[in-house]
Amino acid sequence: MVKSAARRKTPPARLDAVFHALADATRRSILRGVAERPKTVGEIARPYRVSLAAVSKHLKVLERADLIRREKRGSFQIVRLNAAPMRAAEEWIRRYERFWNRQLDALQDLLDREDSR
Amino acid sequence: MQSAKTATVRVSRRFNASPERVFDAWLDPERARRFLFTRPGQTVIRAEIDARVGGSYLFVARRDGVDYDHVGKYLEIDRPRRLVFTLQVPQVWSDFNRVTIEIAPVAGGCELTLVHEAALAEFEDRLRGGWTAFLEGLELVASEREPARVR
Repeated sequence: MVKSAARRKTPPARLDAVFHALADATRRSILRGVAERPKTVGEIARPYRVSLAAVSKHLKVLERADLIRREKRGSFQIVRLNAAPMRAAEEWIRRYERFWNRQLDALQDLLDREDSR
Repeated sequence: MQSAKTATVRVSRRFNASPERVFDAWLDPERARRFLFTRPGQTVIRAEIDARVGGSYLFVARRDGVDYDHVGKYLEIDRPRRLVFTLQVPQVWSDFNRVTIEIAPVAGGCELTLVHEAALAEFEDRLRGGWTAFLEGLELVASEREPARVR
């Protein structure tokens, strides 16, 4: 029987957990790896000079942020990317940066217009 | 910094104007309506400001014939250093947002730093939208983006 972690109903990821997860270079590299294709934990650990336990710790952080989902396939665990939380984080930051930079551009224009009066 | 409950965006800008002049632009309706919540194709047609702690403001911005209310309350007013207010745009953003503006004097003018914090509920809504691989977003977030970035 295939037990799918992805099918379990999980609460939405918290954005601060996403940022925390993405702050580490090894975890970003792991994410890029599983973004290419789903991988087993062993495959994920192979390129890194760290213990399986250390990789497993990174996977837990990524899992808490809901950036990866694990599935059991027999005795293997398959790890997949879940990009939605990252995308939401990215979109949010970009949207508000654009919004406020536009306001500050407009404030600069106002000050310039007042100066030239 | 990220706290447990909010996500944060930070932008900053240097102006060749005194802190007082920049600060006052946010609270004087006639000046504020000429920049705040404007954009190309969007004009503020009404601006009401009750510039007291606990006082409210209302800006009505018109775009493509549709009016968007921008409403909030002033939480802190410390001229010309610090201004904190809530912000809601009910038609667009559903959740609680808080904006903190800090203005510091620098040689020849001032530097304004604006921090926008939003309650997490907003993301939870957005995150329910399903999940698709988004490699471009991954690359961007991973290589360039920091949670709070000062320009």
